[in-house]
Amino acid sequence: MSAGENGGSGGCINGIKSALRVIPNFPKPGIMFQDITTLLLDPKAFKDTIDLFVERYKDKDISVIVGIEARGFIFGPPIALAIGAKFVPLRKPKKLPGEVISEKYILEYGSDCLEMHVGAVESGDRALVVDDLVATGGTLCAAMNLLERAGAEVVECACVIEVPDLKGRERLRSHGKPLYVLVESQFEPNSQ
Amino acid sequence: MMNTLRYLSSGIFVISPKLLTSSLPTSVKPSSISALARGETAGRRFYSTIAAVRTDLKVKCFSNMAAPDHKKNVDVKDDRISRISSSIRVIPDFPKPGIMFQDITTLLLDPVAFKDSIDLFIERYKGKDISVVAGVEARGFIFGPPIALAIGAKFVPMRKPNKLPGAVISEEYSLEYGTDIMEMHVGAVQAGERVLVIDDLIATGGTLVAAIKLLERVGASIVECACVIELPDLKGRDRLGDKPLFVLVSST
Repeated sequence: MSAGENGGSGGCINGIKSALRVIPNFPKPGIMFQDITTLLLDPKAFKDTIDLFVERYKDKDISVIVGIEARGFIFGPPIALAIGAKFVPLRKPKKLPGEVISEKYILEYGSDCLEMHVGAVESGDRALVVDDLVATGGTLCAAMNLLERAGAEVVECACVIEVPDLKGRERLRSHGKPLYVLVESQFEPNSQ
Repeated sequence: MMNTLRYLSSGIFVISPKLLTSSLPTSVKPSSISALARGETAGRRFYSTIAAVRTDLKVKCFSNMAAPDHKKNVDVKDDRISRISSSIRVIPDFPKPGIMFQDITTLLLDPVAFKDSIDLFIERYKGKDISVVAGVEARGFIFGPPIALAIGAKFVPMRKPNKLPGAVISEEYSLEYGTDIMEMHVGAVQAGERVLVIDDLIATGGTLVAAIKLLERVGASIVECACVIELPDLKGRDRLGDKPLFVLVSST
C-alpha cells in the first residue's frame, strides 16, 4: 500500500516527491541515492510527510515506534509524539549504553548489526518500524526480528521512499508484515 | 525528600549532597523495566537495568535557564522539568571507565516527558523568527525535527563525515584524543538565516562549537544552542563564548 493510491493526498504527495533529490553514484558508483535532506528543508512538505503517517497510525493502538539510525530518528519521533507512543531508537553496535539485544543482518557485501535496549519494548507492545527508505528490506527485517524477540507485535513498517526493484516489499511480505510508503524512488536527479 | 530540596531564590532546586553520599546505598536501584515499558504513568519512574545504575551519584539540578518568566507558572514548568530529569538514566563507565553516561533513551520511553521536553523548547523558540533548526547527529535528530516542525523552520542535519550525499562543507574539531569532522550540506542554510542548534547533551562544547562554525561560515546567525542536559563541570557553556545556551536539566 502506498500513499500515492489515496487520491485525496495526491497534492501533498506531489509536494513531497518534488522535495526529494537524487544524488547519482553515492555512496558508490551505480547507486542513485535518494536524499531526504531536501525534504527537511521544506517545512510544509516535511509536515505533510509526518501528517500522512500520523493520519494512518493514530487510531491503530500503536504503543511504540522504533526508528532506525540515523534517518529513522528524524521521522519516527514526530510521529511518536503525535500519537502518544514511546520512541525506541535502533542503533549500530556500541552506541546504546546499558544492556542491549543484537540482530545481525546481511548486506550486499558482509554483514551489519542492529541493537535495541533490553526492556524498552515489552510483550504486548504494538510496534511501528520507521525508516526513511526501504531497499532490500534487510534492515527492516532485522528491526522486526528485534521487536519480535522482545515479544512485541509488529503492526507495519513505514518509510518515506521505496526502491521497488530491490524487492523490499516482497521480503517483508515473506516475513508476514505489510509495508507502507509515501513515494517510490526516482531515477533522474532533480534540478535542485 | 522535600526537606532536602532547597528552592533558591534564583529558581534552582538543589538536591542536598549530604543526603546522597551518606544515606543512600551504593547499589543498583531495583528496576521496574516492565512498568516503564508498559507506559504506566503513576508517579515518576526511574528506568534502570541490571547494568548497575548508580543512583547515589546522580545529582540533578533543575536548571535556572528553564525557569519561566512569570512566577505564577513556576509550578507547572517545574513539574515538567522534574519529570524530564527523573526519566533520564545514568549508565556508569560508558563508553569507557569513569564516564557517567546520561542516557536520554529512557526519556523517549515516557511520552509525557518527551512531549514536555519538546514543548519547553517550542515555547521558548516560537515567535523568535528562527528559520533553521540544526541538529547534531544522531541524538540531535530526535529532538530537532519536532521543534522545527512546530515552529515552521527547516531542519538541517549536521553529520559525521561521508554520510551526507552531494556537496558539503566540513569542520574539524578536537576530541579528548584525536579529532573528528562534522559536515553540513552546501546550500542548506543561507546567509542571514537565524539558527537554533540542538543536541541532546552539552559536555565540553566541542561538538556545538563545530556546528556553530559551519553555520557561521555560510553567514548564518546563531540565535541559541539548546540541549536537554548540560554537564556544567565540563564548562561547555564557557566554550560557546558569546553564543547563549539553554538547557532543561543540569547534571553534576
